[in-house]
Amino acid sequence: MLSYTIKRLLGAIPTVFILLTLTFLLVHLAPGSPLDSDRPMPAQIRANLEAKYHLDEPLYEQYGHYLLNVAQFDFGASFQYKDTSVNDLIATGFPVSLAVGGFALLLALVFGIPLGMLAAVRQNRFADYAAMSGSLVGISVPNFVLGPLMILVLAVYNNWLPAGGLGGWQNYVMPVIALSVMYMAYVTRLMRASTIEVLRSPFIRTARAKGLSEARVFFVHVLPAAILPVISFLGPGAAAILTGSVVVEQIFGIPGLGRFFVTAALNRDYTLVLGITLFYGIIIIGFNLVVDILYGWLDPRVTY
Amino acid sequence: MLCSAVIVAGCGGQEDDGFANRLSPASGANGGPKTMRYGNGSEPGSLDPHKASGVPASNVLHDLYEGLVITGDHAQIVPGVAKSWEISDDRLTYTFHLRDDAKWSNGAPVTAQDFVYSLRRSVDPKVASPYADIHSPIVNAEPIIAGKKDPDTLGVKALDPHTLQIRLKEPTPFFLKTLAHTSSDPVYKPAVKKWGDSFTQPGHAVTNGAYEMKTWRVNERITLKRNPYYWDNAHTRIDQVEYFPIDDPKSELSRYQAGGLDWTYTMPPSEIGRIKKTIPGQYHAVPTLGIAYLGLNVRRAPFKNSPKLRMALSMALNRRVITEKILRGGEAPAYSLIPPAMNDYDPVEYQWKNWSDAKREAMARKLYHEAGYSDAHPLKAEYLYPSGGQGKVIGIVAAAMWRKVLGADITPVNQEWKVFLQTTREGYETQIFWGGWIGDYEDPNTFLSIFNSKAALDYPGYDSAVYDAAQEASSHTPNGPKRTALLHKAEGTLLHDAPIIPVWFWTNHHLVKPYVKGFTGNALDNYYTKNFDIVPAGSSDRRAASDNKGASHAP
Repeated sequence: MLSYTIKRLLGAIPTVFILLTLTFLLVHLAPGSPLDSDRPMPAQIRANLEAKYHLDEPLYEQYGHYLLNVAQFDFGASFQYKDTSVNDLIATGFPVSLAVGGFALLLALVFGIPLGMLAAVRQNRFADYAAMSGSLVGISVPNFVLGPLMILVLAVYNNWLPAGGLGGWQNYVMPVIALSVMYMAYVTRLMRASTIEVLRSPFIRTARAKGLSEARVFFVHVLPAAILPVISFLGPGAAAILTGSVVVEQIFGIPGLGRFFVTAALNRDYTLVLGITLFYGIIIIGFNLVVDILYGWLDPRVTY
Repeated sequence: MLCSAVIVAGCGGQEDDGFANRLSPASGANGGPKTMRYGNGSEPGSLDPHKASGVPASNVLHDLYEGLVITGDHAQIVPGVAKSWEISDDRLTYTFHLRDDAKWSNGAPVTAQDFVYSLRRSVDPKVASPYADIHSPIVNAEPIIAGKKDPDTLGVKALDPHTLQIRLKEPTPFFLKTLAHTSSDPVYKPAVKKWGDSFTQPGHAVTNGAYEMKTWRVNERITLKRNPYYWDNAHTRIDQVEYFPIDDPKSELSRYQAGGLDWTYTMPPSEIGRIKKTIPGQYHAVPTLGIAYLGLNVRRAPFKNSPKLRMALSMALNRRVITEKILRGGEAPAYSLIPPAMNDYDPVEYQWKNWSDAKREAMARKLYHEAGYSDAHPLKAEYLYPSGGQGKVIGIVAAAMWRKVLGADITPVNQEWKVFLQTTREGYETQIFWGGWIGDYEDPNTFLSIFNSKAALDYPGYDSAVYDAAQEASSHTPNGPKRTALLHKAEGTLLHDAPIIPVWFWTNHHLVKPYVKGFTGNALDNYYTKNFDIVPAGSSDRRAASDNKGASHAP
């Protein structure tokens, strides 16, 4: 297991390098410059700024400078947010995305897993139909519809929750729900399908034949096997949900990483785009690794 | 729909706004700090007065820093750190007498030397301020920006700690107005030296305005607290200011309605009609120094050397339909370059402004045919607009009008914002393009100078010796009939040559809670929180709402 982990971590280095190189090329090749704004500057001032940010140098030299800085964990200064560094922006944005995303994921699992199992056990009965149609709605209603709707009812018409921003725990309620609903629906459906499949497999029949109690059959034999698809979904799912949701952050005015990422791309904020891409890349690779290790632990058939 | 929703939600309903009762301020009533909460558009890129650009940044900077002069209720120049000034007879030397009691937020006095340092920094090519050229009237500013002279040679001098002298290379009638711009604000040298780029951060920043930095969380809020050393602190009534960056006007409106904001940066155009009906007393339409226009690239075909074609397109556009049916926010249709909100100036306007639609369209067709186009040989061109904003809908409407009136075949083409900026700046591909401009200071020159053939902003590639000469002469002629004649000549020449099609003049839309006192719209849309107060409804009840209505600029 340890040698496997080390092998995977070493394998991640070229992946990250390729990711960084491609992103660097892409952002620099995109038309438009970080220096373009609705108030264009006189040519001389523009030239001064290009010199300041090394934009007047050949691309390979710029890349060399950049790699050298990244090797020292310095992502540079943001083009857009001139008074702060990319490191600081990630450091302030990530905890927010982590809190919102973490709670949303927790909510999705806490409700999605039991609901899916319930639907499987009561297959083709009322509880099943209710859970499945509910999850269909959850998957179909995009969060850019759900978010404003919640704001209208819970904040504008009734002053129960703040309409946006960060402050107390109240500010987290709506974004967490808006973000979690789709994942919750997805987990429910995954869990239902896999539970139904596991319930029909021979080892469950064996367990029942041995005279085990239904509860023991369910929680000791069915659950660990049925949860595997959810676990493998959790890798990319957690990475996606933790790195922030642009839409939810935008609607609720939350200063998370997702919003930084999109505005950085639109602003051609080269350093911020690269910094967040690298950060995302590492998180996604990390989560996939954690999931693979979890897999080996949960499923005795998988060995490394 | 709104009413029934309120009933379903079980709300009593505020009599005037139809929302639950959100007419109380965040604080101030029971001893907490009086807090003003602004919606502030997008996140400021910088709070360094010499690097900042954009309205959101200047809104915050107006509270943080005070220049030699600032702007008053009607965008006029009023004393700031300078309590008085003298202008020499040749109009080349300005001598400012600074307040003895002006202080930085750490208690240090604000001196003439601070302004010398700051103005030099503002033109220093190493700092690369996007607004450095606003200082070009000052002696040596231009060669310094171009890197040909040392910043120390700038024509500013501290005669003593409280007397500042600025020398101009030529008389400039609007020079004082450029000093009210944030790029003329002083910065605190020891903080800049110590902290570098991050000298604007809370804990580092030392400011001389009515407020100082408290917290700054990018994309969440900027909080300012009272500067206890500000010279007029005794008259500052609001203790704390919060600026929330909310790009989406619909989200901003929700937060205003839910009671999270006291002032909105703007309004969703689709909601203006409803808001005017439900909460008219809180709605303020402020005509500002801004113009929306369609640019015509005169460097290349089909618009090169074809003034008749350009004029035909301009005349074929029914501006009233655009302002009344599409914008619906009280915007004025534009038949000139300089907005009517500009004080002390009557713009030159197209004569056909008051013609009947039939007459105007007939003339447009006549010019179109004279330019060599007809139904058999229609004009084919592209109209380029950026993603987001009104460029798209205006393009569709304009293309339809041009098709109907002239038979021209104009295709709207979209580009993402930064790509659009690059394309229009380079000017190789553009034919017709979306354009707009908001004045930096309150003088016609802020509009006329952008179409000078030497200006970076001259996107249409307009190059007229007559125009350049009139514009340049007007910027060195003292205010009076002679200058007005030059300004009229420049504006008239531009309108005649038609490198741009003026469409409408900008109106900003704000919602302001009735308990916020002291709000008066002005042409620059410049506000200083130190002039505002928050008076909770309980302490002045009914009078509060009517006071606010009295100050309203709503049409």
